Amino acid sequence: MNAPLREVGRRIPQKGAEQRVSGGAVYTQDIALPGMLHAAVLRSPHAHALISGLDVTAARAAPGVVAVITAEDFPGKPYYQLGGSYSDRHPLARGKVRFYGEEIAAIAAETLEAAQAALKLIEVTYEILPALLTPEAALAPDALPLHEAANMLGGRNLAIRFTCDYGPVQQAFADAAKVFEDEFSHGVAVPACMETNGTVASFDPASGDLTLWTATQAPFFIRKEVAHVVGLDVERVHLRGVEVGGGFGGKSKICEQEALAAMLAVKAQRPVKLILDRREEFISGKTDHAKRIRLRTAIADDGRILARATSLQIDNGAYTAYAPTYVGAARQRTTCLYRVETAHYDCDLVYTNKVPGGQYRGMGAPQMIWAIETHMDKIAAHLGMDPLEYRLRQANQSGDVTPLGWKISSCGQSDCLNEVARRIGWAEKRQGPREATPGKLRGVGIAAMIHPSGGVIYQEGNYSNTRIQMLADGRFVVHTQTADTGTWQNTTLAQIAAEALGVPSELVSVSHMDTDAAPPDLGSAASRVAFVSGNATKRAGEALRAMVARELGRHWNCNPDDLAFAEGKVRSTADPSRMADIAEVAALCGELNAEARYSTPGERPDPATGIGNYAATYVFGAQAAEVEVDMATGQVRILKIVAAQDVGRALNPVAIEGQLYGGILQGIGMALQEELIFEEGRPVNASFLDYKVPRIGDAPPIELALIETNDPEGPFGAKAGAEPTINASIAAIANAVAHATGMRFYELPLSPDRILPKLQAGRKLALKPWKRPYNLEVATVRKAYPAAVFPVLRKIGTKFANTPKQGVKPEIAAPRDIDGLLAALASPNKRTKLLGGGTDLFVGLRQGIYDTELLVDTARVDALRGIALQDDMLHIGAGNTLASLTDSDLVRRILPMLAEGVDLIATPQIRRVATVAGDLCQEKRCWFFRSAFPCYKLGGATCPCFAVQGNNRFHSILGAKRCAAPCPADLAPIFTALGAQAVIIGPNGQRKVAMEDFYQWSGLSCLTAGEVLLRFELPLSARSSHAFEKFAVRRSDFAESSVAVRLDWEAGRITGARIALGAVAPLPIRAEATERALLAAGRPDAKQIRAAAELAVQGSLPLRDNAHKTHLLVNLAERAIRTAIEHAP
Amino acid sequence: MKLTLRVNGIEQTAEADPLQPLARVLREQLNLRGTKIGCGNGECGACTVWVEGEAVCSCLYPAFRAEGCAITTIEGLATPERLTALQQAFIDHGATQCGFCTSGMIMAASALLARNPQPTEADVVHGLTGNICRCTGYRQIIDAVLSVGNKQ
Ligand code: FES
Ligand code: FES
Repeated sequence: MNAPLREVGRRIPQKGAEQRVSGGAVYTQDIALPGMLHAAVLRSPHAHALISGLDVTAARAAPGVVAVITAEDFPGKPYYQLGGSYSDRHPLARGKVRFYGEEIAAIAAETLEAAQAALKLIEVTYEILPALLTPEAALAPDALPLHEAANMLGGRNLAIRFTCDYGPVQQAFADAAKVFEDEFSHGVAVPACMETNGTVASFDPASGDLTLWTATQAPFFIRKEVAHVVGLDVERVHLRGVEVGGGFGGKSKICEQEALAAMLAVKAQRPVKLILDRREEFISGKTDHAKRIRLRTAIADDGRILARATSLQIDNGAYTAYAPTYVGAARQRTTCLYRVETAHYDCDLVYTNKVPGGQYRGMGAPQMIWAIETHMDKIAAHLGMDPLEYRLRQANQSGDVTPLGWKISSCGQSDCLNEVARRIGWAEKRQGPREATPGKLRGVGIAAMIHPSGGVIYQEGNYSNTRIQMLADGRFVVHTQTADTGTWQNTTLAQIAAEALGVPSELVSVSHMDTDAAPPDLGSAASRVAFVSGNATKRAGEALRAMVARELGRHWNCNPDDLAFAEGKVRSTADPSRMADIAEVAALCGELNAEARYSTPGERPDPATGIGNYAATYVFGAQAAEVEVDMATGQVRILKIVAAQDVGRALNPVAIEGQLYGGILQGIGMALQEELIFEEGRPVNASFLDYKVPRIGDAPPIELALIETNDPEGPFGAKAGAEPTINASIAAIANAVAHATGMRFYELPLSPDRILPKLQAGRKLALKPWKRPYNLEVATVRKAYPAAVFPVLRKIGTKFANTPKQGVKPEIAAPRDIDGLLAALASPNKRTKLLGGGTDLFVGLRQGIYDTELLVDTARVDALRGIALQDDMLHIGAGNTLASLTDSDLVRRILPMLAEGVDLIATPQIRRVATVAGDLCQEKRCWFFRSAFPCYKLGGATCPCFAVQGNNRFHSILGAKRCAAPCPADLAPIFTALGAQAVIIGPNGQRKVAMEDFYQWSGLSCLTAGEVLLRFELPLSARSSHAFEKFAVRRSDFAESSVAVRLDWEAGRITGARIALGAVAPLPIRAEATERALLAAGRPDAKQIRAAAELAVQGSLPLRDNAHKTHLLVNLAERAIRTAIEHAP
Repeated sequence: MKLTLRVNGIEQTAEADPLQPLARVLREQLNLRGTKIGCGNGECGACTVWVEGEAVCSCLYPAFRAEGCAITTIEGLATPERLTALQQAFIDHGATQCGFCTSGMIMAASALLARNPQPTEADVVHGLTGNICRCTGYRQIIDAVLSVGNKQ
C-alpha cells in the first residue's frame, strides 16, 4: 500500500457538473411520468387540538380529484424511527394534531390547482387544546400529556430523561480550584436546502411494486419506513436515482411526503408527485433542535479540567424523529472535546407543540462547542494565559481515552489549532488595538472540534455494501445506495474505486440511490459516506481487480498475482510484453461485478451510559475568526475565517474545500442571523425573506488548511469530512466577538437586536415618549395587553375578523393608456389593485393577504414611465422599474443618493420588474400579517396586534397605534427628504401631494378609489447635499431603520434641512427636532451633530425586542447627517 | 390564454392561465426543467431566466406579460457538449455542489457579465445578491465569475 496515490488526492471536477451547469440535472421536481397526478397536503392550523370530525366527502367528489387519504387509509402503524417508545408518529394525524402544520389529509388530483382547491373542501372539526410551546410549559406539573405514557419514558412530556456521571464528578467539583458556570440557549435553525422535500411515487397494482424518486439522503431508511407504514414488503419498494438539491441532515430520514405520495399512488393506481413549497418546507420540514445548555467546568490550579458537567434541555417538538441520537451527539462533545478528567451529563428531551426537530449538520455540535469554547476562553483569562496556549495544553492527543470511552487514534487537533492561529495572525491580533477604525471593534477568536468519523451505530449497526461493475467497454460503475446531495460523494467514491482498480477516475461513474442496482447501505448521513461507504468501495474495487486478474490470467495463461493494474493498463510483471489497455481487458473478460461490505469496527455504546469507542477514528479541526463589530449598528462583520481540518486524507481537495466553505457559511448563519421564530407554535418567518440564510454578501474570505494524518482505518487514510466543517464556527465567531467587545452573549444568534443595546448601554437616549401625546394611551393599552386586551381580542374579537376571501382568482385588465387605466379602475363592485412589478402582489395573493378580483396592469401605460429633467425638477414616472433608476445616467449624475439608495432595495432580479409606485405602495412586511394571522391589519378593528407580545424585533418604535408594522419602503424616506411631490391622477383629474402627506398614520397611502400615481417631481438645487443610510442584516433585506437627509446650504451654513426616518414607524417621519437643531447650529460640529441626531428618537415607544432600533436610528441619523455635511456644495 | 413566446430563439406556443408564473410554463409545458423553483416567491433566484435580455425571477413573472417576449433559459445558453466560458469556469472552480441553485446563478451571473464584462468582486457580490446557494458558501462561485471576467 505504499505505492503513490494516483486518483485519490486529485483535484478532479465534480461528476455530473456538466449537467448541473447546463440545466440537465434531473431532480425530483423535474420528474414527469405519464398519467402523473399532483398532490397537496392538508395541514393543521392549530398547534394542539383534537380532531373530532373529519369529512372528505366533498373533496373526493371535487373536479379532478383522484384520491384522498386520511389516517384511516394507512394500516395504522407509526413510523419506526428509532423504535420502541420513540415510535410515536403516524403519516397522517390520528384524532389529534400536535403541531401547526401537521399533516391531516392528502389529495392527488389531475393538476396541482385541483388538489389545492379540493383541500378547502375537507371539513375538519377541531377541539382546541392548550398548546405547550416551551419545554418549561410542557414540564409544568399540570401540563397536558402530549402522547401516550408509553411514549414518554422520561416522565410526563419527556421522551428521554438521561443522567450519568463519568468518573467521580462530585469529588472533582469538591476539589476544584475554580468552577465556571453559565447558561446558554438558542432557538431553532433549519437546513433550508434549496430543493424542498418532494417525492414522485408510482405503484404497479399488477406486481405490487412501488417505485419512488425522492429527495433523500438515505434510500435505505425511506424504503424501510415507507414499506412499514404503507404495508408493503420492503422488497416491493424501489428507489431510483435522482439528483438531490442539498441535504445537511434535513433529508436524512423519512420526511412525511414520501409515505403520503406512496399511499396516494397506491390508492390512485397512478403516479403521484408531491413537492413541498417553500413555506411548507419551513413549517413542517425537519429542523435543528432548540436547546438550553447549562455548563459547569471545574478546574485545578494549573487549569486542568477536573470535570465538565452539562445539563441540557432539548426541545423535541411534537414527535420524536432521531432526537435520541441527538441526545447522544451532544454528550460526545461535552465529554470528549479537550482533555477532561471526569464528566457529568444530563439531558431532558422534552415534547412541545412545535414542529418536530430532526437532524441538521453537526447534530448540535456547533452550539455545544460554542458553550465549551466560551469556558475555555474564560478559564484562560482566569489563568492569565493566552487562549491558544491554554487550548494546546488541554488538546486531545493520540492515545487518550476520553471519559466517554473514545480511544483517540490519529489526532491532528494541536496541528489544526496551531495552523489556524498562525494563519489568522493570532499573536499580533490578540494584542493589537481593538478599535483600529473609530466606531468599529475588532477581535479574533479560536475554537476546536472533535467529531466521530462514521460514528453512529444504528439498530442495524453501521455498514455499507458497494457493488462495482466493469462494463464490457472498460468503463466502471460504482453502485451505492447512498445519495449524493451535493457533497461530491459520487466524485470521491469514483476516485476511491479508481485508485483501488488502478484506472483513471474518468473511467468510473457512480450510480447512487437505486435500491435495485445497489446493495444496502445506511445512507449519506452522520458523517459516514467517505469513511464507511468509502471503505466498502475500496474493498469492492480491490475485489473487482482480483476478479479481473483471475479472468485475465485465464485468457493470458498467467498467474493473476503477476498482473499489475495502473493508469488504466494491466501488465504482467513476469512477462513485460504482456500489456493491455483496460478497454481491451474488459472486451476480453466481459462484464464483471464485485460487491464488498464494510462494517465499522466501533463498539456499540453501552445504552445506560453511552460509553464506548464507537467510531473507528475521530475527526479534529479548528477555526479562527476575525470579526469587526460596528458599534453604531451592532452588526458583526466577519473579516476572515481560517479553518484547518484533520481530514485524514483529502480524497479530492476541491470537494473537501467546498464542504468547508459551505459548512462554515452555515455556521456563520447559525451564529449571526438564523432563527425560526414562532408565535402560537407557528413559524412566522417561513420564507427566505425573513429566515435569514446567508446570501453572497455574507460570505467572508475563508482560508483553509487540510491536515492529512493518514488514518490507518480510513479508505486511503481518509476520515469523515463534510458534516463537521460546521462544528467550530459559532464558537470561533462568538469568541472573536467577545474579544472585540469585551462582552459575552449567551443567546444565539448574535444579531444586532441582542448586541447593540449592550454596546450602547453607556449611552442613554432621551426617548421622551410623552412628546407624542397618543403614546400615553398606547402605553396603557400595551400594559393591559397580556392579561386583558389580547386574550379578549384573540378569543372573541377574531371571530368577527373580516379577513380577505381565500382562493379568489383575479381577472386582468391591461390598458394601454391613462384613460383606459382609470376606466378599468372604475370597474364597479370589484376589488381592484394596480399591478406594477407584481413582486409584492403575487406573493401577497398566495399569502392570503389580498383577495383582489381585478388586477389592472400598468406595464403598457407609457405615460407612467420616463425620467426627465424639467425646469428644476426631476420627473420620475411612477411606473418606472427600480432598475431604470439605477441604470439612468441622469439620476446617477444629478441625484446619486437616489440611485445608491435604490440599489440597496431587494435584489437585482426584483429591481428589474418592481416599480417606484410599487415600492411605495407595497403592503406592510410584518411577519404576523404576512403569515395571515387574524390580526388588526388583516382582520380589522376587532382583532389584536400580534406584535405587541410576539417577536417584535422589526416593528415600529415610533408612531404605532393599533398596528405596529413599520413602513417598509426605502423610497418613502428618500422621497420625503428630497421634498418630492406625488402627482396623482383620478376620476376628478390631477392633484399633487407632498410626500410627507402621502401616507396616513395607519401607513396606508392617501390614494382614494380610482386614483393612480402618475409621477414624482423632485426639486433639485445645486445648493443642497444628500445622504441615505440604511441598515439591514443582509443587503437585500428590508430596512431595520433608515435615514434620508437633504441639507440646503448658503455660504457654508445649513439653511434648510429635511430628514426623514424610514422603517421605524408606520409611515416615513420627518425628524423635525433634529432639523431645527441643525438649522440653529448652522455649522454643526461633531457634538452638535450627535445631539441633533439623538433628537430623532424623541417620542419613541419601543416594544420588547426592538430597543436596538432606537440606537440604530440615532446612529444612522448621525452618520447620514455627517455624510450630507461632508458633501456640502 | 394562448401564449406565443420566443424561447431560446425558437418560437413556441403554450396554453396557460394568464397569471401562471412563467417558470411553470417553461417547466411544465415547454419541458425546460433546467429552470428550478426554490421558493416561488422571488426570494432565492433559482428560477432566474432572461426576459428580453434582463434577468428576472420567472416564478413571479406572470405568463401574460411574457407574451411575445424573447426568453432565454439555462438550456438556451449552451449544451453539455459546448459550454460557455462561465459554465466551464463553474466546473473548473468547483462552484457546483447540489446544483440546485446553479441554473439561476449562471443566468444571473451571465447577465451581470453581459453588462459588466470586467466585474470586481464587489460587483459580483452585488449582482448575485438575489441568488441563494445553501451548499457552496459562495466562494467558488465568486472565483468562477471573476475568472471569466479577468479573461475577457
Ligand atoms: S424560485 Fe423564483 S426566486 Fe426562488
Ligand atoms: S449548490 Fe446547492 S444550493 Fe447551490
